[in-house]
Amino acid sequence: MAGKKITVVLSQAQGKNPQRRHLEEEIATALIMAPDVDCSVVPHLYDMSHDHTGMLFLRSVPGDLIVLSWLFPRAAHWTLDRAGVKGHEGESLLRDDESDNESDLPQEDDTSLDSIGALDVPNRKIYCIDLRVDDSPQAFINEVRRISDESSIQTVDLMQWINGNPKKDQLERYLHPQQLLQLEVPRSNENGQNRNGQEEDGASNGDSSHQPEPTKRRWYPVIDYDRCTNCMECIDFCLFGVYGIDHRERILVEQQDNCKKGCPACSRVCPENAIIFPGHKTPAIAGADGEVAGLKIDLSKLFGAPSKSALELAVEERDVELVRDGRDAVGMEVGVPKRQTETVATPRDALDDLMDGLDDFE
Amino acid sequence: MSVDLIFPMGKFEARIPTDRVYSSNHLWLQETANRYRAGFTSYSVRLLQDVYFLDWVIDPQSSVRERQEIGEIESSKALSTLYAPFAGIVRAFNEKLLDDPSAINTDNYGTGWLFDFETDAVPLTPEAYVALLADGWEETQRTLKGQFQ
Ligand code: SF4
Ligand code: SF4
Repeated sequence: MAGKKITVVLSQAQGKNPQRRHLEEEIATALIMAPDVDCSVVPHLYDMSHDHTGMLFLRSVPGDLIVLSWLFPRAAHWTLDRAGVKGHEGESLLRDDESDNESDLPQEDDTSLDSIGALDVPNRKIYCIDLRVDDSPQAFINEVRRISDESSIQTVDLMQWINGNPKKDQLERYLHPQQLLQLEVPRSNENGQNRNGQEEDGASNGDSSHQPEPTKRRWYPVIDYDRCTNCMECIDFCLFGVYGIDHRERILVEQQDNCKKGCPACSRVCPENAIIFPGHKTPAIAGADGEVAGLKIDLSKLFGAPSKSALELAVEERDVELVRDGRDAVGMEVGVPKRQTETVATPRDALDDLMDGLDDFE
Repeated sequence: MSVDLIFPMGKFEARIPTDRVYSSNHLWLQETANRYRAGFTSYSVRLLQDVYFLDWVIDPQSSVRERQEIGEIESSKALSTLYAPFAGIVRAFNEKLLDDPSAINTDNYGTGWLFDFETDAVPLTPEAYVALLADGWEETQRTLKGQFQ
């Protein structure tokens, strides 16, 4: 029965990186043939506005959902959450675990003790998988299969949820799965060329009438509510009206597009490291978990880089944007937390763990 | 051989030999003829772990300012820009490391040396370097922790 199908959404890379496109196409081709999955392709998650067809589609998926994207799973999860695509975090076994050293470290839950958490989370799982963790399409296809098996065991629960209080479009979608943004798999055409070659950024198919509307690159903060404690430092710090407060008095990234491209300032100010800029080059800011391989420590300070605290950096970055806007730089005078230095004190003793882990390893 | 000083990093003991001098950016300098040979201290190597890649962005015989960027290093644990320890002249690099930097891990105080350097600056004594490590240890841990989050 169609309802048993798990929905897989493949979110495309920004730009036209041929290797990335190729991987996407291989995965999509295989999954579209697979009988037990329902595969769709949407533009890059982070770039879609909330009323983009791709997001509307994502919101309409009722059951378990697998999202393949070029983002760290945490970044993908909270980007979706903000757009109203909510669910419990499903655990993918496909992770970046190249560096076995790290696995010696105690796996800590990133959730901070006083975090406010996500609200209105339905009883279903969203599995976010980072497409950068493997080069082979098969790895992703296998993982989709594994999750799909795991998920079909829970179908009864899912049915209850659906029967319980289905929204009309959800039920519709559930009973008549349609290929809303179905990728037209680029069968190699006469010239053996890939049609996507000439596409605009983010659009998937040239002559398809289902062509999703194009997206442009965006830049804005994404809050991880499993870390955020609602302390309001970000809203005090940002002078560009990006943050707001919802009707339950929770911090919210309200005006995403007010944010200044490239500016990651508030992420440096957040005492919980809850603010993610999925497109930032520093993995820790882009939403990598501490354990992720590829996240390397920057020892430049140790070897003599001019030392600046995160706050000093943030203030500098903010001043640059203020001046660019024709406003006055404010330096440390506005919206800077009083407690400054203790900001860095955290309950987590990662270095000790690191060192001890390494000792065990040797 | 002179007696080494030891700086404890968690369970690891960083060995700081007393037959040479040090810079605050964690290099050792050993006087040879009219210049110094420089390399990573055990403290640096401990934080770096296995070095994969080393690259210099200046040519040999370049005059450098104190803290000028001179290279890049990548290891299993870290990425870092490298900086000149003092104002001076970088005379030569350890060519062997460019193909295979593993000597940095296996013999950091010997064949894993980085470059030959001329300077008029007065480097730190081993004792002063160990004191500096002790002073900076809290801060280093905090910096690293911040990056792990
Ligand atoms: S600064 Fe961080 S923890 Fe505080 S409200 Fe903003 S996102 Fe949440
Ligand atoms: S990055 Fe800068 S502009 Fe954007 S929300 Fe943060 S402080 Fe505001």
